[in-house]
Amino acid sequence: MYIDFERLLKVCRLSLRNDEKEKMEKEINEIIKYFDVLDSIEIKEAKEHQTSNVEVLRKDEVRPFDDIDGLLKNTKTYRFSVVGPKV
Amino acid sequence: MSSIEEFASMEKGREYYQKLVEELERLNERVHAFNNINHGISSGFPFSAKDNLCVKGVETTASSKVLSGYMPPYNATVIKRLFSKGFSFLGKTNMDEFGFGSFGINAPEIARNPFDERYVAGGSSSGAAVATSILKYHVAIAESTGGSIATPASFCGVVGFTPTYGTVSRYGLIDYSNSMDKIGVMARVAKDIKPIFDLIRGADGYDSTTTNSPITSINKKRLIVIDQLIGLVDQRIRSLFEKLLDKLNSMGYSIEHRSLDMIDASIASYYIIAMAEASTNLARYTGFKYGLKVENFEKGYNEFFTDARSAFGEEAKRRILLGTFVRSANVRDKYYFKALKVKDLLFNKLNEILKEGFIIMPVMPIPTPRIDDARKLTPLQVYKMDALTIPPNLCGFPHISFPYGYDNGLPVGAQVITSKFNDYSIINFVEEWEENFEYKFKYNIGEVR
Repeated sequence: MYIDFERLLKVCRLSLRNDEKEKMEKEINEIIKYFDVLDSIEIKEAKEHQTSNVEVLRKDEVRPFDDIDGLLKNTKTYRFSVVGPKV
Repeated sequence: MSSIEEFASMEKGREYYQKLVEELERLNERVHAFNNINHGISSGFPFSAKDNLCVKGVETTASSKVLSGYMPPYNATVIKRLFSKGFSFLGKTNMDEFGFGSFGINAPEIARNPFDERYVAGGSSSGAAVATSILKYHVAIAESTGGSIATPASFCGVVGFTPTYGTVSRYGLIDYSNSMDKIGVMARVAKDIKPIFDLIRGADGYDSTTTNSPITSINKKRLIVIDQLIGLVDQRIRSLFEKLLDKLNSMGYSIEHRSLDMIDASIASYYIIAMAEASTNLARYTGFKYGLKVENFEKGYNEFFTDARSAFGEEAKRRILLGTFVRSANVRDKYYFKALKVKDLLFNKLNEILKEGFIIMPVMPIPTPRIDDARKLTPLQVYKMDALTIPPNLCGFPHISFPYGYDNGLPVGAQVITSKFNDYSIINFVEEWEENFEYKFKYNIGEVR
């Protein structure tokens, strides 16, 4: 499987130094090659994923969260807004 | 008597806790079990929380630079339930960044094996295992995705219990892989595990995957060894394991062998699913909401986001890249969706075997490595080391790791796996084992002489 590593880095918004890039690309290719072992497993019945165990669903209702100050302590704020980058 | 009951019957004042914290601080400088220690502890049975569990007002980083300074404004459900019964928070334990590792070496400070500090403690709940090994009266709340409780418990000579997926609420856990993350317990003896499990388990409105299904204790006195998995194990570990099987046989357990020919596929399936989920979970660390603040607000969003992500460690970056790749539109059927189908196939095969009895195997295929040697392994070599812990974790089966021998002075652990919701049976199994085997500890901080 060919990986366009530069494109993958861009999609992931990751920036690596050149020496890091070379090492990471080699390791990732080795791992992907290993993942190809899944091709050898034949799945006879195409079953949907069935191992989850959802039993209890709560009512879909709003629960107020009181500690707004606590939440904002983790952010930089200006007046009533959280400060973030330009979008 | 459990150590929780023993502790309750002891007379202890404020000085006891002061001395406990002082001794712990001193040893922690060397073994790095804790990312932070609660100096205000003054009553109750001490518990520690892995640093990916939110404790209100206590810095919670999952050992990642990207979360440095993050103060959760709420308690995780498990923490809330422990507080409600008078347990006291002792501190946050060290771990591989976000749970990404098998040896505890993907962290700013590497937790060290208390039996010999040149050796790894195991990961990713490295600090939880070290804390349990050095503290006389304490339980650790840890978390496992692919073996992060069993592995460090085995290397540090303590009991590590990973419950059925869905029995313990993940609310307040910093997600790694939501479909496989399980909060569990480490203790020095199995007797301490059950009361904590009973306290923290049960449905929680904040986690829709939790359930109140009854927990059973069915023991068919039959232990099943999967030959292909044992085939991966180093000769030294294998001979110790064979002695364990002989002992268990003399305790009335029959030993049987079964075949399971999809070991590499289960490793691949686990890592594909775990990385796919991790790569989406890590996207929330944008550099202005939690922890690390980039603060260069003049930059455009993409550039700002890229700067924030430079704070991730090497393994986190690798998992973002791989997880994003396996979810790509042109390959997701080949990798991600195939991995889910392989998971189902493995679940069905293991489930059939578990109807006959417990599966038993060593926890790790190698003896505890030195920190320097673990650092030399390639990422793929490290992933393959999880071959024995992945099957129960990938499928959500409860399992427990317990010490059964010592190799060159370092503990060696085995694990037993059972069917979903039969969790009590394996805790009882280890209690029975403990009647015939005495565990060793190098430190006993908190012991009253």
